[in-house]
Amino acid sequence: MAEKSPDMGGKIGYVLLGATKAEGGTRSVSYHPGGETDLPFTGMKAWEGSVPLVAFEICDDPGYWSPIVTSYTGDLVSDTPEWARTAEKQYGADLVRLYLTSTKRRGFDDFPSITKVMEGVLSGTGLPLVVEGSNEPAIDSEVFQRCGEAGQGERLLLGTAEAGRYRSVAAAAMAYNHSVVAQSPIDINLAKQLNILLREIGLKADHMMIDPYTGSLGYGFEYSYSVMERIRYAALKGDTDLAMPMITSATDSLSVKEVRDAGPAVRDDIAVAWEFYAALSSAVAGSSIVCVRHPKTVPLLKQAFRELWAGKMPGEA
Amino acid sequence: MALKALDIYKLLPKKNCKECGDPTCLTFAMKLASGKGDVEKCPYLDLNAKNILGASTRPPIQLVKIGVGERRFAVGEEFVVFRHEKTFYHPPGIMFQVSDLWPAETIESVTRRVGSEHFVRVGTDLTFSGVAITNESGDPDVFAKAVGVVEATGTHIPEVLMASDPAVQEEGLKKCGNFRPLIYSATRDTYKPMCALARKFGSPLVVTAKDPQTLGEMTKLCNAEGITDLLLDLSFPSLRDYLPAATEIRQKSISRSAPELGYPIFLDTTRYQMQDTALVLGIDKYAGVIVTPALPPASSVAALTLRQNIYTDPQKPIQMNPGIYPVGTPGKDSPVLLTVNFSLTYFTVQGYLESSRVPCYMFIVDTEGLSVLTAVAAGKLNETLVRDSIKKFDLENLVSHRRLIIPGYASPLSGKIEDETGWKVQVGPRDAAELGDYLVKEWKI
Repeated sequence: MAEKSPDMGGKIGYVLLGATKAEGGTRSVSYHPGGETDLPFTGMKAWEGSVPLVAFEICDDPGYWSPIVTSYTGDLVSDTPEWARTAEKQYGADLVRLYLTSTKRRGFDDFPSITKVMEGVLSGTGLPLVVEGSNEPAIDSEVFQRCGEAGQGERLLLGTAEAGRYRSVAAAAMAYNHSVVAQSPIDINLAKQLNILLREIGLKADHMMIDPYTGSLGYGFEYSYSVMERIRYAALKGDTDLAMPMITSATDSLSVKEVRDAGPAVRDDIAVAWEFYAALSSAVAGSSIVCVRHPKTVPLLKQAFRELWAGKMPGEA
Repeated sequence: MALKALDIYKLLPKKNCKECGDPTCLTFAMKLASGKGDVEKCPYLDLNAKNILGASTRPPIQLVKIGVGERRFAVGEEFVVFRHEKTFYHPPGIMFQVSDLWPAETIESVTRRVGSEHFVRVGTDLTFSGVAITNESGDPDVFAKAVGVVEATGTHIPEVLMASDPAVQEEGLKKCGNFRPLIYSATRDTYKPMCALARKFGSPLVVTAKDPQTLGEMTKLCNAEGITDLLLDLSFPSLRDYLPAATEIRQKSISRSAPELGYPIFLDTTRYQMQDTALVLGIDKYAGVIVTPALPPASSVAALTLRQNIYTDPQKPIQMNPGIYPVGTPGKDSPVLLTVNFSLTYFTVQGYLESSRVPCYMFIVDTEGLSVLTAVAAGKLNETLVRDSIKKFDLENLVSHRRLIIPGYASPLSGKIEDETGWKVQVGPRDAAELGDYLVKEWKI
């Protein structure tokens, strides 16, 4: 086995995602990403840490979603709770990541609908949830409040906090005991700075995950890959401000030219390949949760992680 | 341990004879210290000095060349464990596997595909690297015939000859031994005859063992036979063992704590069920040569793009040549959109412009590869550059109007550009994704 560098004494902290009945929630499973003491998929000591998790991304207004996914999936995308259930039962995802794209509509003010969507998805799937709230600072506070409240006790992962726009999401997370996605633009120092800002307003380190921002393959992925490696390595060397597990999503994968312009016969396969290559490489660089949008990418990633991971898989005793 | 330049200098003749190609012994010493020099270039070194220098001044990972001619490639000569520490220099060769049991037409079509298929990304030609011919028949004549089929295509692509029996290997080499094919592979039992073949044909050689330590012992044995162009093959039953072992080999060779492991890694993905996964691991982490079944069209570009990404120099953004690039078939009254020559910006903007279906000109100015935001902040993107570029690329004769769309992040420059060029400036969106909408709503002539 590889020699651990002598200067590696750090450990990635744990974050609790989802809460089972025993933990005060209603999820059928909960996860504890974190705990790694060595480079991804290596290590000398009995595979400390956690296998990367696969999150399937859905949304509550498919008008804002990739036509590749909506045409592959069909009518299901208009039934958000059922879409979430399918992600769990049929695609085999570990988590569901819900984007509240309905809030992108101009002049959105139907806040009760958020509570309704949240309740629907929570009853549709027993998996832990990642919830992406509004895209509009003016309605952040109301949207995140609704998400947090609807998911009370469920240990959601709420996103997304950015420098200059993190108070609403952090406030909702702290009020209802959820965790936060902290996103910075492909820069290790900005990632660290944001974590410190969040800590200073009272969010605990075990309630944060780092999103270093992931460019899609061929469109900046190399920068994201290296920033992930740097963050992971800095944490292993003992920088506790960077020792949170990472969540990554190459969200542009399905809209880059190579995928968008592919012929109908190969379009789905190309979409899956672009998602798979970026997501697996992100896990190799240190990401604990990788997120994808094409249903066919999920089982491929799960199979790859099962093959590469010598430790326990989620759900295994 | 690596020696410092001054320590090396002490061992040199200090004649400043220039016969090594360097102006002084000190500059030669500095080159050696950085791992870029070749001890053999100094004709006056005594054997003792050569031995001391040889082990510590060759690159921590041996450079190995495979194939000849235009398509030959080199792997190894890497200096870091993580690409952010400097860069990775030599992308892995991806070789499509063919079997000597296959019909000649199939072997031929895979070979021709590797020979001619190429994808252009970021102004670079991306190709697969060669073919690996496996001896599944066990028969030397069948193997030689398959190698002959590959040769007869005239594609001149690099080859790996995968025959573990030295007698079979030799029959293959007789067909293509002049072209530096990679010999696969030497084990503890066969290293002597395999080294003899490597010597006879001047070919690089793969050594196979089940753990890094045994590999290290094997490279020493091969060195003693006079063979130093080696690759390391880890014959694991499970893909799970690849990353820990490849990481160990990379760490120990870079730190020079185990110089006997200082060779590129060979990864045969056909050994595993999950070949896509193996390919990704090999590209991300340290493989020099990867053998894979011919990839389906869907994952071909993804694989080559990932390889290009990982082997891009992080300190040197890929740049586009400045100039005018048409999107669709624009005419005299089509919009002109200015942006910078950072490749990522260029390709993102180009992608959205193409999908907007509005024919236009992309007007790329030379910001030395900086993005819009940084080029504006650093003053690289300024009114003088725009003025000079308009003249240089003859924009005034290309279009009949005098209106220029600039990126949203360059809005502070709009007034100055108008004053300097006499063109009317329109400020475009900050996010390239909004370009389609923008052109439809804001471009009227």
